[in-house]
Amino acid sequence: MALLQVDHMTHFFSGLRAVHDFNLAIEPGEIRGLIGPNGAGKTTIFNLITGIYTPTEGKISLNGESLIGLYPHKIASRGIGRTFQDLRLWRHMTVLEHVKMARYSQLTYGLWGAFFDTALRRKEEVESEHRAMELLSLLGVDHLADQLVVNLPYGAQRRVEMARALAIEPKILFLDEPTVGMTPEELVQIMAIIRNIHQKFDLAIFMIEHRLKFVMELCEQIQCLVFGEVIADGNPDDIQNNPQVIEAYLGKDAVEA
Amino acid sequence: MSFTFLMQNLVNALQWGSFYALIALGYSMVYSILMLFNFAHGDIFMVGAYIGLGVATLLLALVGTGAGAMLPGWVVLVFTILISMFLTAFVGLIVERVGYRPLREAPRASAAITGLMIGIILETSNIILMGGQRVKFPQLIESVTYNIGGVFVTNMKIMIVLVSLGLMLALHLFVTRSKWGMAMRAMAFDYVVVPLVGVPLNTIAAMTFAIGSALAAAAGILFGLAYPVLDPFMGVSLGWKAFVAAILGGRGSIMGACLAGFMLGFIEIMTVPAIQIVNRLFNLNLGSNLRDLIAYSIVLLILIFRPHGLFGEPYSAKLRL
Amino acid sequence: MAQTKTTSSPLPRGVKNAVGRLFASVPLLGFLFGFLACVLMEMAVGDQLANLLGLSKMPVLFGIVTIFKAIAGLINTLFKGAAFDPGTLVHIPMALIYFSIVYLAPITIVTRLTSRLANSLADALQQTSLLFSALVHLGLLYAILHFWGGMNDYRLIVLKLTLIAILVTLSLNIINGYMGEFSCSHPGFMAIGAYMSSMFTVGLFVDDKVLGAAKLSFSLAYLSFPLALVFGGLMAAIGALIIAIPSFKTRGDYLAIISLAFLFIIKSLFENVQALGGARGISGQPNWATLPVIFAVVVIGFWAINNFVNSTMGKALNAVRDEESAAEAMTINTRKTKMAAFMFAAFWAGMAGGLLAHVMRYINPSMFGIQKLAEVLAMVYFGGLNSVVGSIVGAVSISLLSEALRPLEILKWIVIPLLLILVMIYRPTGLIAFREFNIRRILQPRRPESKEV
Repeated sequence: MALLQVDHMTHFFSGLRAVHDFNLAIEPGEIRGLIGPNGAGKTTIFNLITGIYTPTEGKISLNGESLIGLYPHKIASRGIGRTFQDLRLWRHMTVLEHVKMARYSQLTYGLWGAFFDTALRRKEEVESEHRAMELLSLLGVDHLADQLVVNLPYGAQRRVEMARALAIEPKILFLDEPTVGMTPEELVQIMAIIRNIHQKFDLAIFMIEHRLKFVMELCEQIQCLVFGEVIADGNPDDIQNNPQVIEAYLGKDAVEA
Repeated sequence: MSFTFLMQNLVNALQWGSFYALIALGYSMVYSILMLFNFAHGDIFMVGAYIGLGVATLLLALVGTGAGAMLPGWVVLVFTILISMFLTAFVGLIVERVGYRPLREAPRASAAITGLMIGIILETSNIILMGGQRVKFPQLIESVTYNIGGVFVTNMKIMIVLVSLGLMLALHLFVTRSKWGMAMRAMAFDYVVVPLVGVPLNTIAAMTFAIGSALAAAAGILFGLAYPVLDPFMGVSLGWKAFVAAILGGRGSIMGACLAGFMLGFIEIMTVPAIQIVNRLFNLNLGSNLRDLIAYSIVLLILIFRPHGLFGEPYSAKLRL
Repeated sequence: MAQTKTTSSPLPRGVKNAVGRLFASVPLLGFLFGFLACVLMEMAVGDQLANLLGLSKMPVLFGIVTIFKAIAGLINTLFKGAAFDPGTLVHIPMALIYFSIVYLAPITIVTRLTSRLANSLADALQQTSLLFSALVHLGLLYAILHFWGGMNDYRLIVLKLTLIAILVTLSLNIINGYMGEFSCSHPGFMAIGAYMSSMFTVGLFVDDKVLGAAKLSFSLAYLSFPLALVFGGLMAAIGALIIAIPSFKTRGDYLAIISLAFLFIIKSLFENVQALGGARGISGQPNWATLPVIFAVVVIGFWAINNFVNSTMGKALNAVRDEESAAEAMTINTRKTKMAAFMFAAFWAGMAGGLLAHVMRYINPSMFGIQKLAEVLAMVYFGGLNSVVGSIVGAVSISLLSEALRPLEILKWIVIPLLLILVMIYRPTGLIAFREFNIRRILQPRRPESKEV
């Protein structure tokens, strides 16, 4: 049994087929890529697995336990962390608060502690802060801990978002286009960071990415999605040489990367 | 509990619902464009009624009353309604300019607060100007009662319902047929993109306020004719109920606001005989002042099961500003 | 929350800087000493000084009421043709002189003189536990309020109502500020708290026409007052649950509407239940809401609310407000969080309602209508969203303003709304929005060298 197993997942948006018969098996520690042109349904697949939508058909399970019908927060606390393509950060919070917030489900002090400032709460908040700072320094943004996140440059915001996703202590991390809008230097750095966290936490990673070079370099297995259907599945070499992929995808976007 | 009794209440409910429907339209139109509740609208209704009072008094003084009048009462009434609608539209424009336009970029709740405060200012100004006393609305047309198979219908009631329906129809035609009406609907559909294609948001918003206020003025005059005593706080109770009707109809839905206005009037009027029936059946002694309680409970129940109102679109991401 | 426009301070920059420099090295403790000196000064010489200055009696609210009385007299002369009384105009400079002598002078002198002492005391307190230090400050604050309020019955009631307003504003800020929803049901929760606690106290311990003869009577009955308050608060929280269950399934304006309908229902429910006095309400509540009791409840409320909004559990509200989908993806149970916060806020509103009932010693449904809603909303939005300090500022300024402007009579209801509209236009989220309350920093000693903080 794979860590994350998706079988025959199909989804309709009021009659419109967005995803058709999608299958996926991610082993622990694997890095896997999902590519495809705009509107192919890549983010929809993320949203289906993380519980924002419930698939019309199909099975999703993590460690053999079904995730169908669970609330997104439940799925997240089972061990699926994610980032968003459009950086969904919280406008009024500092960097440190972002990462601490993601440790919400690890806190046990409950409402009582929240209201009455119990010893347990203090202990847990301090621990949580330590863990958060560790993650921030791992991603190289610990010096920004007290900054409001809206005041940061784009690259730093991306890192904060990644740190936040790691703070839920995921078994598998979903990255939705982690390199959007990045400069070439930032690209190199983010690649190093992804490699680093992959090794450090023995983390499985599932990423949507537009820059083929980036995916080819990082991923062991890649799927190519067109109009909600997987047209190719294999290692980077297979994908690169697959005529269907070239036609559907590279034909248009060959200029990139 | 005969059929005639039911019909009698139905007629009353139609009249009562007309007021709600006309006021609710103003709430709903503003909501559809700006996605916010104009909490001053109830008080604009009140101002409209008072403006109507002023216009009617002035016209009566000009043309004379009774047998020696130069014009029949209904002509005076038509002019009163038209002139007051025109004047109250300006009140709406001022409210939009002062209270809402400066807050276009602000959180919507802040605009709701300015609306509330403008409402208080309107009430207070009224008290200062009119001395805080209840005033009587002049009777412009002679009341005639018809007996249709045991159901008593006054010409006033018929007129009120017909004028309201006429205004609603006019609004409907305006919104669906005219250029500006279409621009309004487009704006309601997408508040961010439509201004980019050259439809000016400020003009449309101002127009919406003006039309809503004019309709509220009409409601105010009709209300003054049916219940000829005006007081500065008449907009509070009626206005908030009309607001609830606008919500019940579905936020931003013009059709929904009309129907829900009539429905709320119907619920309110019908609870009284319903309580009587229950009292008689179960030998209870429930007071008719349970009306609000029952009406709002019904509204609450409807909203729990249909969160987006009766005719509104389901809540979508588009609504999030 | 970027400020759109630079706010123009009422004081010129130079004056502001000078004042800032004057008090730069004064810790909170020093200000408390200063205020205490003012209050003691007023107790000692207030009456005589007022006599000397030709004021009929000691000005109740720092002389502001006296000034507005004179202004109101002038307005009446100008617009209503009332007889002109030059005597009242003289009251304006006299009230200012009174204010300068009794408040301005002592606070300046005492804070300056004691700043060294206050700083070393603050230092010493910092060595002890935070709790002890906070209690010392609170004790001083209470002493000031006690003496200040003790001089005049009217002052006392204003003080009590202001404290209650603080609690209500804080609790509503949880929903409208921290959670970013718009709740209209707060007066309803206050009504539930007021009625339920009154049922408890009046029903059990007082002979009453509506609620019947006293069931219990013993001399220490007032000790049960906290129980009555908590009972009222819990009932309000249960009421909140009724709204919360349907409301937090959907986003957007849904809560605003459901809570408004709830407010109307609660109000007309209390109007119709004859067992609770119907439209006339309940009166004759025992006089248990004394200043120390209210002060204690408000302090505990403030403490709990501040704790909550500073915890990760409470900050989850901000996460939900700013980006709900991200909050869900970060394991936050958004619905539970919102419901818990909503009920928590309702609990404190209920407590405040209970206090209000026992300060006024009568309640009726019309006290908890749309007007109350407008008042509470005004306080929250005036003071500032997402900020406990803002709530205090909002509640105190609106309460004091509406008392101080009382001589203007009806014009008051033009001035206050206008002021609020201006605040909304120039600072849409209120005066002191999005500021955290850091008790450690507030209590710490202030040395000129540590000024740059």
